[in-house]
Amino acid sequence: MASLELCNASDVDPGTSKLVELDDYPPLAVFNVDGEYFVINDTCSHGDASLCDGEIEDGEVSCPWHNAKFCIKTGKALTFPAVEAQKSYETSIVDGKIVIDI
Amino acid sequence: MTDKHKITLSGPEVKFDCATDDTILRAGLRVGLGLAYECNVGACGSCKFDLIEGEVEDLFPGATGIRPKEREKGKRLACQCRPLSDCKIKIRTGDEFVSKYRPQPRSARLAKKIKLTHDMVEFTFETDVPAEFINGQYAMLSCDAMPQQRAYSMSNSPNSKGVWQFIIRKVPGGMFTQYLFENAMIGDQFMIDAPYGIAHLNTASDRQIVGIAGGSGLAPVLSIMQGATEKREKFGKPVMLYGARTSRDIPSHPEIDFYNNREFEFTPIVSDRESAAVNGWSGDVGFVHEFIERKLHGALNEYEFYLAGPPPMIEAAVRLLMVEHKIPSNQIHFDRFF
Repeated sequence: MASLELCNASDVDPGTSKLVELDDYPPLAVFNVDGEYFVINDTCSHGDASLCDGEIEDGEVSCPWHNAKFCIKTGKALTFPAVEAQKSYETSIVDGKIVIDI
Repeated sequence: MTDKHKITLSGPEVKFDCATDDTILRAGLRVGLGLAYECNVGACGSCKFDLIEGEVEDLFPGATGIRPKEREKGKRLACQCRPLSDCKIKIRTGDEFVSKYRPQPRSARLAKKIKLTHDMVEFTFETDVPAEFINGQYAMLSCDAMPQQRAYSMSNSPNSKGVWQFIIRKVPGGMFTQYLFENAMIGDQFMIDAPYGIAHLNTASDRQIVGIAGGSGLAPVLSIMQGATEKREKFGKPVMLYGARTSRDIPSHPEIDFYNNREFEFTPIVSDRESAAVNGWSGDVGFVHEFIERKLHGALNEYEFYLAGPPPMIEAAVRLLMVEHKIPSNQIHFDRFF
């Protein structure tokens, strides 16, 4: 298991998300839900939309294209047309940086 | 007062004219642009756009395809907006949304009505111009007597004679449908604005075709079946699963005889167990998605799936195909009218 540093925790305000694109990895969406950080794959499992462009409400993110909702914490697909979960990552804060296990 | 306004797309700058009585979506599709969409009736949300400059009239402020929060941020649905001025918008585009036949309105005469079940009728319309569409697409139907338009899928194949057929189910509260059933007379004039829809027969694939339909989803799937049988050497014998509530809901008419059809395999499945027992139904009983694996002889990833019908049926079938059987989404076709 390797760790991957994504961005400064201070870059992601509560209730917002940040798209992190790194070579050799799928685009990643970093969410701040009431001060807690979560990371899931950014590209919607249904279409090709970026979930970082979606609305965040009650710990869920809605896909900007087709309104499918995902649980930010687990990546689970909550509403149609998405049926497959977003991959989610173990996330921690190390020296002010958001780090995931990969 | 102008009769049209200029719509400019942000990004790689593209401009097109939109008549004041047309929607931004349809005007874009008419000039050959691939503006993202599916349903054309405000339900799916695929045609959301950001209004950057200008003013629009929103024809359907209660549309379910867009959330109030998105409206607050200036987003609108292109299928429900008419321009009130020149506008600049940001909207998703893609080659898959470019219509092979550019949609256009044409006048049509109601030529025939055939009753298929207690609540389903096949309506045949005729136009003076060829019926140009791809199997599985739909039309927006309108007439002077009705204030609103309605989307219906063609159930036949494209043809040079200008014949457009629709199998329509009478649903409580459906104003346009009720008008067609009760008031429309043979010879009446209508407008057919078509073709629309992206869940049409994909001729780039040569996989065997499976149609999964429920209720009035019969029409587009039947059209797909006909398109597939016309290219049988390419697609093999298509298979159609049709979910009906009771055996009374399965069409039966000499002109549309599914049971003796040799062109495609027709498997009706009845969901209402009690009525099945009462009516002496000896066929399959259950939900249509439960029979997908049982009725297909090959591995599921060898097929191309076309779906139309009630949202729960589509959702159950897509869940089964994608989650349990890992069928790629590009082998599963449906237009979301929900």
